Amino acid sequence: MIPQSPNISHAEGAPRAPGQPVRRTWRPRLSWLRALPFLARPITRTMPWATLITGCLAGTVFLAVLAHAAQTSGWLLDQGTVRLAFLPPVAALAFVPRVPFRPVTQAVPVPAWVAPAGHLLLAVPVLAATCWAQLRIMMRTIPPHTLGHPPAVYPLIAQLTGWCAVTTAAAACAGRSRYADLGGAIAAPVSFAAIALAWHVPVSARLLVGPPATAHGVTIAWYAVASAALALTCVAMRDQWHRYSRNLHRLSSPDHNPS
Amino acid sequence: MTATGGGPALPGTDAPARDDGGSGVTAAHAPRLRTVLDLAKVEASLLVRSLLVLAGLLAGGAVVWVFIHRAEPLWWEVGWKIGFGQLVLGMAVLVAAQLAAGRARRDGLADLYASFPATAAARTLAHLAGLAGAVPASLLLVGAATAVVQVRGAIGIPGVVVLAGGLLLVIAAGAAGVAIGSRFPHPLAGVLGALALLLSSGTYRLASGAAIWLVPWETSQGQLGELPGPLAGYPPAGAHAAELAGLAALAGTAALAVTVRRARARGGLAAAGIIAAAVICSAGALQLRPIPTADLNHLVSEVADPASVQRCTTASQVRYCLFPGFGGQLLSLEAPVHAVLAQLPARPDQPLTVRQVVGLSLPDPALTHGHPNREVSQWDAQVQHAPGNTIAAPAATIYLPVGAWPAAGGQLADANFDLALATAQWAVRIPPQTTGSPTSELFPCVPLDQAREAVAIWLAILATHPPASELQDGLPTGTHFFGAEVRNTFVPTWHYPGFGAGYVTPPGGGPGNTAAGFLLANAMTSLPEQQVSHVLTDAWGRWLNWRTTDAQLAAALGIRMPSVPLPPSLRPGFKPQPGMRIVNQPGPQNPVCTA
Repeated sequence: MIPQSPNISHAEGAPRAPGQPVRRTWRPRLSWLRALPFLARPITRTMPWATLITGCLAGTVFLAVLAHAAQTSGWLLDQGTVRLAFLPPVAALAFVPRVPFRPVTQAVPVPAWVAPAGHLLLAVPVLAATCWAQLRIMMRTIPPHTLGHPPAVYPLIAQLTGWCAVTTAAAACAGRSRYADLGGAIAAPVSFAAIALAWHVPVSARLLVGPPATAHGVTIAWYAVASAALALTCVAMRDQWHRYSRNLHRLSSPDHNPS
Repeated sequence: MTATGGGPALPGTDAPARDDGGSGVTAAHAPRLRTVLDLAKVEASLLVRSLLVLAGLLAGGAVVWVFIHRAEPLWWEVGWKIGFGQLVLGMAVLVAAQLAAGRARRDGLADLYASFPATAAARTLAHLAGLAGAVPASLLLVGAATAVVQVRGAIGIPGVVVLAGGLLLVIAAGAAGVAIGSRFPHPLAGVLGALALLLSSGTYRLASGAAIWLVPWETSQGQLGELPGPLAGYPPAGAHAAELAGLAALAGTAALAVTVRRARARGGLAAAGIIAAAVICSAGALQLRPIPTADLNHLVSEVADPASVQRCTTASQVRYCLFPGFGGQLLSLEAPVHAVLAQLPARPDQPLTVRQVVGLSLPDPALTHGHPNREVSQWDAQVQHAPGNTIAAPAATIYLPVGAWPAAGGQLADANFDLALATAQWAVRIPPQTTGSPTSELFPCVPLDQAREAVAIWLAILATHPPASELQDGLPTGTHFFGAEVRNTFVPTWHYPGFGAGYVTPPGGGPGNTAAGFLLANAMTSLPEQQVSHVLTDAWGRWLNWRTTDAQLAAALGIRMPSVPLPPSLRPGFKPQPGMRIVNQPGPQNPVCTA
């Protein structure tokens, strides 16, 4: 499949004569924006809802089971347990930014990254709801008159946001590799390994894990990681993927054309 | 290349009988076994070369290293910890096996695979047999970890059954991956399966008591590292290996049950599944059996009265009492002790003893489950009065908790310094005057403004030569300030290298070291050793007197007493920020070392 230049009009379907130069037609750079309202429905329908919701439910059910055990045994759930329970949703998120037929979608007027970006936007409220539900489950195991304040939640939210962003970036990058068909299966272990490394390597742990880092420090560090990961995701999603230009020149030259 | 890639065309796959209800050509009798074996070879080859398995092997190795590099290499503990690495490898094998088993149904390729001569059941059987491809990675992990542990001076002998259990864990995880992939081809299913494996084994308190051994590989509980030797049934390695074998068989049966359609074959699978379930249940019941009373009695007696089983060696008038099997540590212990003793002008009358103790914590349901409460209470009482668990320790005994002495690296250097410091504190007669309770909070005595403290620290520095930066790290900084409340006065303290790691337990838990004492000792190290030794030898008795001050020692050495950093709130001219309130509430007091 040959990616077309965005300057070539797709309305002109007639085959050009051999030797005739390509006639470039002018089209506004962001003209595809007008197609966005019509894309909402197909993007929603092609969203991998089952995958994402399965991951979210798996983590939440695991936490609910632990919460039940905690309430019957008289111990409390902590934020560490919520982190563990959020791993399945993060794993499911790795399968969201996938472009199944990228060579085809690359050829249509709308940029190929619109669909995965829309899927990611749709995943945000689902992940937010999962995080909220899991925090509610954790808080329910803490008796109302417990001495002392429970630890702040905002560093945890920043951390989970960072995890999601790192996973998305890993998935987007894997989607540009030879393992594109298994981008999620590759991205999930890779992002888990990255998270584990960040957690245990002293240099990064000083910034990303509190204590020793303060709650504010952890929050800022994880949002910085999330921002960098999102930037990487954007770059990876806009990547043109297949680059055939050199081979195409060879193929189109008379020396390589036996007819 | 992952195990999800397609394999080459197979020799000998000519028209086996179909049993998956597909619409392909049916052949009467075909070399089914040869087909399965050829397919299995390809699948095993793909698994051996799988990037996922390779990554799992590397991650597993890293996990094993993280768990073993700090601790004393005791084989009865390390063998189980190698299983943590096998768990990580097993997760990778599970994902790879799921991807491979789900290959035929993923991306709408079921029709294409249905046209192949090999049936779905044959392919599933081949996937299961192809798990042999994960064995080299597992064996490599075991071999590498064993080599590392042996090089680091392992104590005891490797438990073959425990190590074999790790291998079975990888196989069982792979079989679970095949079962998942046969039913759920989406790659997320494999990832979730791997997470379930991790969370079931690594979640604290998901199981308690003897039930901790029922999860695939328990990683967060247990006191294996505190035991002075292997304890039969803790962990129940043989029964656990049987459970894992049963789980692997059950997963394999489940995978075949998804693809096999013939009634006779399904009947056979049902029987195999029942047998596997029976094996799992029997193994579970064996793991839940209480540890024999005689073994626990022996363990508690070892903990309560270590002298009854220890072998003592005397070298340079110091007794080293170690549990059987720990004799290899003697040289490592002697070096820092002798280096301190060599500097002393005179030794105390009472000889020094370095004794191993066991920091066993009871009651522990994983150890004492199934025994009457009265018996457990008796064991608990005996353990609480064990040496090392009470603050009423002899003044001339340094305790060495089993499992705490590191094998190599920076931790060993810290442990050497700690042992040298404890020896020096005994040599300068700092008494064990700790107050409080081991179960709540201890308040060690503080040699406040006592010259002997600086002498002890100087001796320890001279004996082990720790890096200056590491010594300075123990001083208070602008953001971290630690101290003790002595006679209603805040005294800045110094955290020596290895502070809090528990490598050794000095008499009475050891004194609290002041920042002033360290700073003076550090200044002493800048002087010629002969000069300091001469000053100390000339009036050794005077410097050991608890009333002799740091300033007097500094004057005798001809140096200025270093200034001690104060917390910001105690510095002159300190103005509290708006909203800041200084609370002068007296806290718990540390006694002064006065003997």
